[in-house]
Amino acid sequence: MSLTGTADVEPARHRPAPAPGGWLGWLTTTDHKRIGLLTLGTSLLVMLGMGVLALLMRGQLAQPEEHLVGPQVYNQLFTMHGSGMIYLVMTPFALGLGVYLVPLQVGAPVIAMPRATLLGYWLYVLGAAIMLSGFATPQGAHSDGWFSYPPMAARTYTPGVGSDLWIAGVFLATTGVILMAWAVLWTALRKRAEGMTMLRMPVFSWSMAATCLMVIGAFPALLAALALLAAGRVEPAVFDSNLWVIGYQHLFWFYGHPVVYVMFFPYLGAVAEVLAVFSGRRFFGYRGTVFALLVFAALSMSVWGHHMFTTGQATNDYYSLTSILLLVPAGVEYFAMLGTILGGRLVFRTPMLFALAFVPQFLIGGLTGIMVGTPVLDYHAQDSYFVVAHLHYVLFAGSAFGLFAGFYLWFPKATGVLLDERLGRWHFWLLVVGTNLTFFPMFFLGYAGMPRRVVTYLDGDGFGLLNLLSSCGAAVLAAGMTVFVVNLARAALRRAPRAGDDPWRGHTLEWATSSPPPRLNFDAAHPLPPLTSEAPLLDLRRRAADEARGAREGRGAREGRA
Amino acid sequence: MRQADVFGEVFAVELIMAGAVFLAVLAAVLYAVLRRRAGAAAGPSERAERPRLEAAYVAVLAAVAVFLVVYTALANHREHRTGHVGAPAGPPAAPEVVEVDVTAFQWCWTFRHPRPGGAGATSGTCRAEEVPTLVVPTGRPVRVELTSRDVIHSLWVPELRYKMDAFPHHTNSFTLTLDEEGRWLGRCAEFCGYRHYAMHFWLRAVSPGEYERWVAGHQAAAGGAA
Repeated sequence: MSLTGTADVEPARHRPAPAPGGWLGWLTTTDHKRIGLLTLGTSLLVMLGMGVLALLMRGQLAQPEEHLVGPQVYNQLFTMHGSGMIYLVMTPFALGLGVYLVPLQVGAPVIAMPRATLLGYWLYVLGAAIMLSGFATPQGAHSDGWFSYPPMAARTYTPGVGSDLWIAGVFLATTGVILMAWAVLWTALRKRAEGMTMLRMPVFSWSMAATCLMVIGAFPALLAALALLAAGRVEPAVFDSNLWVIGYQHLFWFYGHPVVYVMFFPYLGAVAEVLAVFSGRRFFGYRGTVFALLVFAALSMSVWGHHMFTTGQATNDYYSLTSILLLVPAGVEYFAMLGTILGGRLVFRTPMLFALAFVPQFLIGGLTGIMVGTPVLDYHAQDSYFVVAHLHYVLFAGSAFGLFAGFYLWFPKATGVLLDERLGRWHFWLLVVGTNLTFFPMFFLGYAGMPRRVVTYLDGDGFGLLNLLSSCGAAVLAAGMTVFVVNLARAALRRAPRAGDDPWRGHTLEWATSSPPPRLNFDAAHPLPPLTSEAPLLDLRRRAADEARGAREGRGAREGRA
Repeated sequence: MRQADVFGEVFAVELIMAGAVFLAVLAAVLYAVLRRRAGAAAGPSERAERPRLEAAYVAVLAAVAVFLVVYTALANHREHRTGHVGAPAGPPAAPEVVEVDVTAFQWCWTFRHPRPGGAGATSGTCRAEEVPTLVVPTGRPVRVELTSRDVIHSLWVPELRYKMDAFPHHTNSFTLTLDEEGRWLGRCAEFCGYRHYAMHFWLRAVSPGEYERWVAGHQAAAGGAA
């Protein structure tokens, strides 16, 4: 996919500074836009692969007592699907968006620490390759789930080298993400253009700042958990003590809950930008939203124990308190999103469709999140398909829809060409139908008693019909994603129309520069506009309209006098 | 089945609240889609924020959060209080507690009844017909002491709406009181390896009289074997 091939037709003054050309130029770049695109492209590719794993699982579960794959393979499938989507897709994609967009949105010519950012990308790629290479080992890939509790994940019970590769891969990829988070946060804090005060940063950049705070605060706990697991694989006796068995869970979930918001905030930020732009108005309740994001991020560091309600070794009252309190900042974000569209003038382009569907679909994930954050309900729902449904409503019906809203919004900026609207609509509607058909039945399956991570179920369990519906939904999802790939291929083959600098009448600084932007983001032909608020281009248009009206009225008044 | 009763009540309350919120948000989105379309709406609003409305709304949200926290925490405490909740005032002497030791292992369960009386272990392989049964009396609190021999498992009886994890080198305990006779399927809920999907057991509640006969039979069987 040639994302910058279109730069050739731009005037010479937009060409990047002299640097190695071709592949080498891409792979050694210190341009945040190229590092961002590399990260986004890599995680999108991994996403397609992880989707194939999911299809195999849905194939296996479509009917009771099927034998498409055995437990050995199935356990690898759900492990690699879950860990791949979380460690290698939704998290790096979120940071990749930040690496690409935050310098543009705050009016910076470059990202802070460009080499560390590039190193972050390479650690991520290396980690991904190592983790996935487990499939090539004799005993196959890792097979203990994305949270891989010991002692199950210790060498005694999972001897394969795939598990060692998994630990190393997750460790490297996560280290890379932490480096990127430092760079993005530092850019937002220290690289803003003159006049770009903190409270003039766009909602998306604020969502990235909050995201990076969580990455920096919480992700090292995952590295510690992985180090503990690695120690336990060398010496399994480590896990003869309950201290390290339950200690691993505490370390893991101290990372494991904030990461949910890391995989959510940037997409929420993208949705906020889309809703404002396609409502033709300023994002409603900007300051409340910024405050809510920060409160949300702070609270997220104190809720981890709600993943451990059934361990009998957590203070359930406390973690339930902090978890349920999250509904306050979440409610503020909904207030802002609904206020924006209720006072808007809505235009339904593809990004807007995804953003509008995000609002009610993510809400299902959020509301069921309060349920599983309630200990007496979690005692039933924990480790059942109810949780599987809940987390996919959060991460797929919510975050992935936000991801696509942002993808369709910013694709023309990054490439200079527009994606096809008709294919975009097909992609959208297939995804809406597929998502809800796949994941809604899982609530009922979990309620009826189907545990997660089971390779099959008995005919007498009565889970057949709902599983069949869910598998049909997965097929619809596959069709939708195929349409998406076709749309991208079409753009890569240059059959797509030129986008121009600002195809959507955007509000934020990235729309003031060319598509794709020049090496240092802004230049003489595309200077920074006056930074008057979080939506400087909207202010500019408003002022121009006011002046035009003023001139018209002035002329009218003069003519009236005459 | 106190766990199931508490679950049912709290789940109904939260489901109604969640349903109301979902419908309200969906209605707002649909209203915007239909009435604020570019074709139907006048110009967009110029209003950047409504701080007073937002502050009042935050107060409502906080009140809802406090209600949910307190209400569900009280429900949790009610569920875990030992003894019979809801029994008439001045009940007869509390029925004697039955103790059961449950050991999970890859990939099945062992049940022992040390007190009162004591009965031999029941176990199985969880293959084909060899699914073990945990027999308990109705009306008497059953104290379950749960542990694991190898990795983490989780004892889940979906009909009881309750589960508890089984850890190696650690014992968790909880109390069940079954009001009616019956037989329910139990499962392992925590992923534990190759045959996790088949790690089932039966929970069978019988009348106290029948339970005594069952214990006597198993004592005899255990004695005969010794």
